[in-house]
Amino acid sequence: MVNAFAYVPAVVLLPFVSFLVALGAGRYLPKGGAFGGIAATAGSFLLSVWVAATVAGGRAYNETVYTWAGGDQFELTFGLLVDPLSALMLVIVTLVALLVHVFSLGYMNDEGETGLPRYYAGLGLFTASMLGFVVADNLLMAFMFFELVGLCSYLLIGFHFREPGPPSAAKKAFLVTRFGDYFFLVGVVAVFATFGTAAFAGDGSFPALAEAALEGSADVWTPGGLELGTWLTVVGLLVLGGVVGKSAQFPLHTWLPDAMEGPTPVSALIHAATMVAAGVYLVARMYGFYALTPTTLGVIAFIGGFTALFAATMGVVKDELKQVLAYSTISQYGYMMLALGAGGYVAAVFHLTTHAFFKALLFLGAGSVIIAMHHNEDMWDMGGLKSKLPVTYYTFLAGSLALAGIFPFAGFWSKDEVLYEALVHGLNDPLLLGGYLMGLLAVPVTAFYTFRMVFLTFHGDPRTETARDPEPVRWNVKGPLMVLGTLAVGTGLINMVPVQKVFGLEGIDYLHRWLDNEWGGIAGLSSHHYADIGPYSSGYLVGGETGTVLVGAAVSLGLALAGLGLAWRFYNVASPTEHTAALGGIKDVLYNNYYLDELQVWIAYRTADIAGGADTFDQGIIDGVVNGISSVSLAGGGRIRRIQTGVVSEYAAMLTLGLIALLVVLGVGGGWFL
Amino acid sequence: MYNALPPWTALAPALLLGLTGLALLLVDTIRPRSRSNTSMAVVGALGALASLAVTVWFVAAGTGSADTGGGITLFADAITVDTLSLFFTAIFASVTSLVVVAAHDYFHDHENPAAFYSLTLFAATGMALLAVANSLAVVFVALEMVSLPSYALVAFLKTNRGSVEAGLKYFLVGALSSAVFLFGISLVYAVTGSLIFAEVAAGIGSLGDLAGIAGIGIVMIVGGVAFKTASVPFHFWAPEAYEGAPAPVSAFLSSASKAAGFVVAFRVFTEAFPLGASVSAEINWVLAFGVLAAVTMTLGNFAAAVQEEVKRMLAYSSIGHAGYALIGLAALSAGGSGNGAVMGAAMAHLFVYGFMNTGAFLFVAMAERWGVGRTFEEYGGLARRAPVACTAMAVFMFSLAGLPPFAGFFSKYFLFMGAIDNGFIWLAALGAVNSVISLYYYSRVVKAMFLDDPTTPSALDTIDARPTALYAAVVFAAVATVLLLPGFGPVIETAEAAASALF
Repeated sequence: MVNAFAYVPAVVLLPFVSFLVALGAGRYLPKGGAFGGIAATAGSFLLSVWVAATVAGGRAYNETVYTWAGGDQFELTFGLLVDPLSALMLVIVTLVALLVHVFSLGYMNDEGETGLPRYYAGLGLFTASMLGFVVADNLLMAFMFFELVGLCSYLLIGFHFREPGPPSAAKKAFLVTRFGDYFFLVGVVAVFATFGTAAFAGDGSFPALAEAALEGSADVWTPGGLELGTWLTVVGLLVLGGVVGKSAQFPLHTWLPDAMEGPTPVSALIHAATMVAAGVYLVARMYGFYALTPTTLGVIAFIGGFTALFAATMGVVKDELKQVLAYSTISQYGYMMLALGAGGYVAAVFHLTTHAFFKALLFLGAGSVIIAMHHNEDMWDMGGLKSKLPVTYYTFLAGSLALAGIFPFAGFWSKDEVLYEALVHGLNDPLLLGGYLMGLLAVPVTAFYTFRMVFLTFHGDPRTETARDPEPVRWNVKGPLMVLGTLAVGTGLINMVPVQKVFGLEGIDYLHRWLDNEWGGIAGLSSHHYADIGPYSSGYLVGGETGTVLVGAAVSLGLALAGLGLAWRFYNVASPTEHTAALGGIKDVLYNNYYLDELQVWIAYRTADIAGGADTFDQGIIDGVVNGISSVSLAGGGRIRRIQTGVVSEYAAMLTLGLIALLVVLGVGGGWFL
Repeated sequence: MYNALPPWTALAPALLLGLTGLALLLVDTIRPRSRSNTSMAVVGALGALASLAVTVWFVAAGTGSADTGGGITLFADAITVDTLSLFFTAIFASVTSLVVVAAHDYFHDHENPAAFYSLTLFAATGMALLAVANSLAVVFVALEMVSLPSYALVAFLKTNRGSVEAGLKYFLVGALSSAVFLFGISLVYAVTGSLIFAEVAAGIGSLGDLAGIAGIGIVMIVGGVAFKTASVPFHFWAPEAYEGAPAPVSAFLSSASKAAGFVVAFRVFTEAFPLGASVSAEINWVLAFGVLAAVTMTLGNFAAAVQEEVKRMLAYSSIGHAGYALIGLAALSAGGSGNGAVMGAAMAHLFVYGFMNTGAFLFVAMAERWGVGRTFEEYGGLARRAPVACTAMAVFMFSLAGLPPFAGFFSKYFLFMGAIDNGFIWLAALGAVNSVISLYYYSRVVKAMFLDDPTTPSALDTIDARPTALYAAVVFAAVATVLLLPGFGPVIETAEAAASALF
């Protein structure tokens, strides 16, 4: 049988080739190179499915492909790691990328955008970078592709670089994520310094070494006699810096709403499958390391829970379709972080999967609405689009129900599992319980803003001329929507844990078994292993496990329905009006995103003040020393030049004197004249 | 293969150089009409290349290497051929061929270029003989054999006042230095009773009360070496001679002649005055070389930084590089395990230096041939008219400064690392500081050529000639400088093996 793993590099390289083709020859190709991109991502998707099937057949792959720098202490390598987690991620990323490419035909080509080769080149590189990140077998390689992902997001968010907004948003996205990446880079160096390797998997990998070191059976370097557990926590938090930046967690989430300036298909790609997902994926990838440091897990969970609630509240007052979705993305990734911090590795991956599909769906649906509305994104100018855009409406509704966590859509199952994990582990851990409560509170808020968006956009009477006569969309928009709509409804089936627990149906928690290496995988990278080394124990409410499952699900579903109902009451009317006045002073706070942008700008200026001090130091002392040395050497050189008089007899005299000096020094030192 | 030939054939590289020189002289003397610049240059270059080819073949075959029974001694131990001598002969032959090729264009309108080629080859013969000398007498004779043609070469432009003056100064300082050197030899002979290195070494081990005499003699020999390598305080001739001499001669002197000084130093001070015996007799010549290295590199680099003329800057930079190479002797320690490594690194540095420094001086030769000025300002904008040559010059400059990715980076790196491993961190640190200073004046050249404007709009109009042979030599040196980065492994391995065999 042909080995699927031999084609893993092709999964990454196909989109890269499409990038090169679009960049070099895009302007000579029909549709600006779109077909090349579609063919490449379709090829990658098929290969990924094959790879996933091979993993399901009980095999995994962990090989170094290329050593680009070797040394005595450690080697820097590129390698491939294909296990159930990365195989699943490969399928998600390639599928979403393929659908985004198809959708772009409708959103970019049919709308007569210019600069299409640049656009498709960016998409290709973006996809390739993310795929390279997914299959990376060590932290340094992951970091490199992580940065490439950041670069591509910069290029694509700033695609309309002639307008004022996009370049500024692109810069902001780049700088804010870069801020987190500095910590990540220091973390990578710390991992190398501590363990001498950055490999994710295998006996010599850094999670395995960390585990062995904590058991006392291995010896690793720690700085200045720091206690091992503390140092591992520090390293974990450093790497987490990159995650918080990329996955737009509080307080580095501010770039993401601005990133809506990019073309809508790009937003779908960024939010569903690439950039933002990269952060959470990284934590999942090295979960064997994080599971060893309870403090880091607590921090992750708390940041996640807080971000989930915090971002959801800001989504409530936004007027623009994509802004609402942006805050919902931040909020949903908060859930994933909550799950990871709460020891719910499978729950996090589950939510990552379902969210990838329903968020891609919502963005593409929003893109369809934007086409129809001639690029007006203000929801107050819409209304009544339900009858004009039926495909968009029903798929968007499916995505919204999933996002709001309404039974039986995909988001219900995954969000419910996230909250369940946080609850059962949090009963013994106050920090975690805090995260859980915030996550729970975010549920009705999410449902409220989601359906506020649905009702304002599709229900009621059309409020503008454009909304009365929207532009129709073609197959290349509807096709991806229908595929994703199906997935948003059905993805929950891969992991029906509550059903299993309540009805005792064994074996329908496919994702659990998949990630537990039941079909195949790499030892040390299974959910079971993570649970074994993790710090948590489970506690239950009334009625033991089954009771807790039922209570948890009922509470979150009830809250979601309450939020939905409130939105229904306020906005599902013929002519909805703003109700934000009822919020009073909070409204301004929410509109202004809790003034966090202002806070960051203020911090930036304070940083500039500190930098000014450093600058003075640099100019005065460092440069002073450098200038001093150079003027000393130039003056010294001038003197030496004067020795060279051009008179030979003086040369002879100095030569002789020099020799005599040397003789005297050595002679006296050696005692020759005694 | 090495033992299939009679032992005297081990001298083939030196013999080839000498015979070529004689042949050129013969043709020039008996049939002066049939001589032509081109045919002379071709014959000279072929002779040097043949010598190089034989040398490389010998190194590859292991002639005189430690693996095949050590050095081949001839003429009652007066001469020994080993890897060290072959390594340096390769430097001499390479530089000679580059210089001869370049001289073809430089002396295109000289009335009697033939003398240049034979003098150059005779000097090269002397250098090859220096490399194989195993007796202080041979060392002195060979040294004079290098020096005398060199004086004539510096003064080769008879009608040029600067050239003649430089030649005279070089000769006077050289005469003084030779006297010092010879006096030193006589003192050593007086104490040890022999001129053969091995016997001198035995004598050094049992000096008794005569340690002071031997010490004075050895310091005087240090002085003779310092003259040949253009080290402080015997460096005074160098800036004048390099500046006044025709640029190909400057290239030859600053690369090959300097290396010849080092091969003497490396061999004499390891074989005749072994470290352990010298130190126990309180003759600490390592300290002498340490002082010389520190002062030489500092003085060379500081002075180079304030020069206005490129050629004079290169002259001082070559003094600075002599200081770096002296680390190969200054960073030794009795019984130290890294002695072979640091001396081998110094040899490898001289090897790389042979290409990059020759190339730099040949670029100056090209500038003189074009008739553009001598100062940094007058090099302004040269890259617009001669991009290939200026790129080559930039390669030389950055390589001399020791920047990656050029060969000069590796050789300097190995040298400083060797010094650190042998416990001489202060020398390595001083070398690093000096390298930083050197970057300043080397990059001035690059800046002038690539970034500055010509002094006057018509300043570069004189560049009309396309001196093919000069171009070829410069470009070849540049390619060698770049290729020695990937090819540095064999060079440093050969050098370290050759140096280790001395301890």
